[in-house]
Amino acid sequence: MPTTLCSAKASYKKQPGTLELTDSLLIWTQEGKKTPAVRVQHPEASSLFCSKEGAAQVRLKLGLVNDEAGHNFTFTSPSAVAYAEREAFKQELTNIISRNRSAAPTPLPKPTPLSTPAKTPAPIPSTSRATSVSSDTRTPILSGIDAATDFRLRKKVLLSNPELLVLHKELVMSGQITESEFWDGREHLLLAEAAAEGQKRGRPGQLVDPRPQTVEGGEVKIVITPQLVHDIFDEFPVVAKAYNDNVPNKLSEAEFWKRYFQSKLFNAHRASIRSSATQHVVKDDPIFDKYLEKDDDELEPRRARNEVSDLYINIGATLEDHVETGNEKDVTMQAGRQRGALPLIRKFNEHSERLLNSALGEVPPAKRRRIDSGNDEDDDAYAQITLDDLRDSEAMSGITLQMQDRERYFEGQLARSASEQAGSEVVDVRAAFAELKHGFRGWETRFSQLRIDKRAGDAALDSMTQNVSARLDIRTRKTDFPPTLFRQLTTCQTAANEFLRQFWTSLYPPPTTTSSGATPSQSAAKAAKMAGYLSKTREKVEALVRAGQLEGVEPERVEVAMKPLLDAVEHALAFYRARSAKTSTLKTA
Amino acid sequence: MKFFIDNLPIIFPYDRIYPEQYAYMCDLKRTLDATGHCVLEMPSGTGKTVSLLSLIVSYQQFYPTRRKLIYCSRTVPEIEKALAELKRLMAYRIKFAETPEQEAKEKGFMGLGLTSRKNLCIHPDVSKEKKGKVVDARCRDLTNSAACEKGRADPGSVELCDWHENLGKGEPGSLIPPGIWTLADVLQHGRENKTCPYFTVRRMMPFVDVIIYSFHYLLDPKVAEQVSKELSKDAIVVFDEAHNIDNVCIESLSIDLTRPMLDSAARSVVKLGEKIDEIKKTDAAKLQDEYARLVEGLQESAAEASDEDAFMANPVLPDDLLKEAVPGNIRKAEHFVAFLKRFVEYLKTRMRVLHVVAETPLSFLQHLKDITYIERRPLRQVLFSFRLFSLTSAFRFCAERLQSMIRTLELNRLDEYSALQKVASFATLVATYEKGFLLILEPFETDNATVPNPIFHFTCLDPSLAIKPVFEHFSSVVITSGTISPLDMYPKMLQFTPVVQETYPMTLTRNAFLPLVITRGSDQVAISSRFEVRNDPAVVRNFGSILIEYSKIVPDGIVAFFPSYLYMESIVAAWNDMGILNEVWKNKLIFVETPDANETSIALENYRRACDNGRGAVLLSVARGKVSEGIDFDHNYGRAVIMFGVPYQYTESRILKARLEYLRDAYRIRESEFLGFDAMRNAAQCVGRVLRGKTDWGLMVFADKRFARADKRAKLPRWINQYITEVASNLSTDMALTLSKLFMRTISQNPNENQTGISLWTLDDIEKAQAKQKEQALLMEQQQEQEDDMDMDYGDGGIDDDTLLGLDV
Repeated sequence: MPTTLCSAKASYKKQPGTLELTDSLLIWTQEGKKTPAVRVQHPEASSLFCSKEGAAQVRLKLGLVNDEAGHNFTFTSPSAVAYAEREAFKQELTNIISRNRSAAPTPLPKPTPLSTPAKTPAPIPSTSRATSVSSDTRTPILSGIDAATDFRLRKKVLLSNPELLVLHKELVMSGQITESEFWDGREHLLLAEAAAEGQKRGRPGQLVDPRPQTVEGGEVKIVITPQLVHDIFDEFPVVAKAYNDNVPNKLSEAEFWKRYFQSKLFNAHRASIRSSATQHVVKDDPIFDKYLEKDDDELEPRRARNEVSDLYINIGATLEDHVETGNEKDVTMQAGRQRGALPLIRKFNEHSERLLNSALGEVPPAKRRRIDSGNDEDDDAYAQITLDDLRDSEAMSGITLQMQDRERYFEGQLARSASEQAGSEVVDVRAAFAELKHGFRGWETRFSQLRIDKRAGDAALDSMTQNVSARLDIRTRKTDFPPTLFRQLTTCQTAANEFLRQFWTSLYPPPTTTSSGATPSQSAAKAAKMAGYLSKTREKVEALVRAGQLEGVEPERVEVAMKPLLDAVEHALAFYRARSAKTSTLKTA
Repeated sequence: MKFFIDNLPIIFPYDRIYPEQYAYMCDLKRTLDATGHCVLEMPSGTGKTVSLLSLIVSYQQFYPTRRKLIYCSRTVPEIEKALAELKRLMAYRIKFAETPEQEAKEKGFMGLGLTSRKNLCIHPDVSKEKKGKVVDARCRDLTNSAACEKGRADPGSVELCDWHENLGKGEPGSLIPPGIWTLADVLQHGRENKTCPYFTVRRMMPFVDVIIYSFHYLLDPKVAEQVSKELSKDAIVVFDEAHNIDNVCIESLSIDLTRPMLDSAARSVVKLGEKIDEIKKTDAAKLQDEYARLVEGLQESAAEASDEDAFMANPVLPDDLLKEAVPGNIRKAEHFVAFLKRFVEYLKTRMRVLHVVAETPLSFLQHLKDITYIERRPLRQVLFSFRLFSLTSAFRFCAERLQSMIRTLELNRLDEYSALQKVASFATLVATYEKGFLLILEPFETDNATVPNPIFHFTCLDPSLAIKPVFEHFSSVVITSGTISPLDMYPKMLQFTPVVQETYPMTLTRNAFLPLVITRGSDQVAISSRFEVRNDPAVVRNFGSILIEYSKIVPDGIVAFFPSYLYMESIVAAWNDMGILNEVWKNKLIFVETPDANETSIALENYRRACDNGRGAVLLSVARGKVSEGIDFDHNYGRAVIMFGVPYQYTESRILKARLEYLRDAYRIRESEFLGFDAMRNAAQCVGRVLRGKTDWGLMVFADKRFARADKRAKLPRWINQYITEVASNLSTDMALTLSKLFMRTISQNPNENQTGISLWTLDDIEKAQAKQKEQALLMEQQQEQEDDMDMDYGDGGIDDDTLLGLDV
């Protein structure tokens, strides 16, 4: 079974059964039953514990994300076999768990409490042992990326995508198709991964505000980390300046920080409105007080900034648009009356701006947005006022038909329509009206005679009821296959799909992929190979039908399930036969 | 696309049209045909501006009268957007013009936008000035006619503005080629040709087809007198985003005086006196001249003032201006200076009072008169020996007289006299209006303050006063906005009768926005911004957790609005101390509106960058604040808006109280009704800024238990209200989150169904709708006829001509 990674006899809650690990689930089925009693999705697995080597029972405990107690399995085979089986499970589960951990946003500090750390099995890139496709050198799929990076990317994509991993294992590692064939058409995954890797993690948004912890004895303690120092220097350049001026000549490093955290300067930097109150408690410090600035709590900011040139968001322009009029605003509407909050508010704005600049760079000083006096409708300046949904996007993308003697074409049409018009008689309105009136005569009596056949109504209702009940019937009927069969079905399906994909891309290469650059002969060979694989699909399906019968599933159901796939395969094969027949006749000719 | 409404060909610059837009245009056309006024509410983000411009430009281009369009908007960003919209429309019209003549006509169409000197100045020195007032004053020094005359006669003697001088070399009617010029375009044109953008626009105003500027240029008499007085009566006036128009009206006639202002005014008076003494010695004839002119009457002198000279117009509406000469007692310059001095002294004395005073203009004048009678004897020979009438009349001309004097004295740096100008305006307004105004003297800023900081509020209570001349002067006034519900409130407050009054629902094939009302936190504690509970830690925490949770699930931008600056500032500090903001930082960047406009613009720019970049950000701002007006949060700039609390006005404000009282007495609008209406229109305005187009989507979260009340929700615009389900009107935070997640999952799917035909119309759909309309109209007519027939039957029992004709004999 390709999707079952390993399986073993094991008991769970003292019931004998089979433990199986598939590509997405860990399942345990009690002996003699079809439905599994335990199903654990891979992402749920969080920890793994094993009994010691040489213990009486070979056990495995799997902890879950939301349930630390987890499940306990005891391997029931003879001890040597059981041990080997458990090791296989351990290996696989460790991989799964470590994958879960790395995917989780906050990685735990220490890996699983396992005696032997498991290695992630790198999908061994199958070098060109391909039989059919000649000269398949292992060129990197993405242009501009060296082979090592490319390999790493592919590995990452596979690891983060279990289904793809299984497919890869099945098709590439078994040698059915080559590595580059597999990735052909999946470049977007690699590109996305590369883009994700290329993204720089931004700085966290929180304010630099070291809050002292109180330890016993009324002392306060602030833990200084290099990161904190860096943040403080970044956030408050004046501290960096003080540091440069004083360390190590006048103050030692430790002394510097100690005095800084006791100084008025620190209290001024703290993001709290209360800090102003504590200032009386803080003692004077001749060194740091030099660097102290006045609170930035005037209505106008101390640091004058250039005016925002974009008139769409220039608020000041409105204030200056006309002479001041009217009465003063009431107390609640006068901005800046809470003097203490102003430095805080300014600090927020500046901090946000600094974060933004660290990611995007400074705004160019003379950024002037203007509406250029061109007729370009897609101009950036109009973008802020246009209503996009009112544009008819379809009408825009039309291409005018280039036609010879266009005028003459229209002339001919015009002439024709003119002649038609001349031919059509002029309607005599009065006569038409009289005729109409005549037609309406006596409609009341005719209307009262109108009877609707009762049977027709009943029949309609009947058919509707039947429709509804049929639907209900289908909905309630159980459709699921036994899990093992279902897995086989899906495997067959995905494999055949992959072959189909390869087949069609080799026949109709997408215009964008220039990197693959397969020659026509190569792609023809590939198509032939794929066609060969595809022709075996029917056999596979038949085998599945038989397997299904053994499991007690009606063959029709399996057939119905696989019908679309078979249809697609048939279509592809028919197409291929027709095409090769054509080429062969061409050749013979 | 091109289609017809009745027989008017409409060019619409898109391939499709929303049904709302079509209906809106039909109603607009009805208004223009009837030459009446209208109130139209069109859902935010459904292309109101483009429909409006498309119809009106089509109208202008089709009829030979070419009525001018005066398009008023609230903010500079909106003005700029409207100009860009117009520019796009005209580019489309030129592209799809059917005949060469048509194309030439479209190319000759001209549209400009006007804003202040501060925004349009490109003089290297002057444009550096921070304050608009200073820019105005310095510009006048460089460009007024006296300076120009001198400078041209003797180059180098007086500093002139080269950019302004270059303008004089061009033809008056073609300072700028025809076409549509956005503000940025005009600035660029000025830079390239070394001409002054501001005066280019000012001088081109009589020649343009469309002028776009802010409400103030039409409503504020001080500005309107200078800028808009020559506009013809048949012009079409549009007030877009007019939901706050009543406030603009009131503001344009209200004045505040503070003690520093009076001090500055007193200094200016002294300076004026010195200047007069100086002139008397050097150039006495000048003063004599002025006196003679004043005897003849003021109007003449004002009429010959050019745009460059105008600096301070009369704050009084044109109709109220008496057509008479300046009264004798202030004609003489030194008398007028003495008069001003006394008046400033009087105001200073009034400000020493330590209790709140509220009085009508009439009683203020009476008091003033009483005081002068007391002081009459010692000051007999100087002033104030008038009967009440002549005193009032002296007051009325105060502003005019000051204007004349400043011109005569050829003063420079007028910004230094701004306080005095304000005092003069104050005097003029007080003496002109008896009704609809109130004087309030507040000695302390707040109730708990101990140090006096007196402010003299002269407050207008009646919004209809300022807009009255607009309704009277122009035949068609369109008042429109995305949120102008309830519609009947505006005609009532502004005292006019609309011919069309309409609100449009939003047709959607799928719900593009989800309004949710959160009434309690996940802990079931009710949340509200009601004054008594708003600082309750449980409420603050629950508000905070709404922000945290939404910052976790919503992509890109979130905008949060608070009812006031005071509340926002205190809650931001509290959230920071509670660690709530730390949680938000984990998911998004945080930007906050600050008191400084430019600082806020920078924050906004960064907010947009963060949304574009995918980092995502939260913007905290204030309903009816700077950001809530004119800035759009469409698409990724706002996937969710959270309204923390109901944005009620501060009810303890004396000005508001006075206004409420006036509304109740004069127009029978109950206090609670007005307050509720005002709060909901602002909430709707904030929330409505997230949508542009029907493929855009956003969450609208109303977080306050009071939003659950039916009477509150009824005041929301129909297009929002129709999508608030019964379930979504009373939610706890966790329930709201579940609904929001569900909504986002659904809306993120590609819409399968074709929107065309339902929420999007093609040309065919329009024609179908028109055919249907006609059919219905015909049916109605027939019914009418039938009814008429019946009447006839009862009348004489005979058969009428139609029936006889139809009979087939």
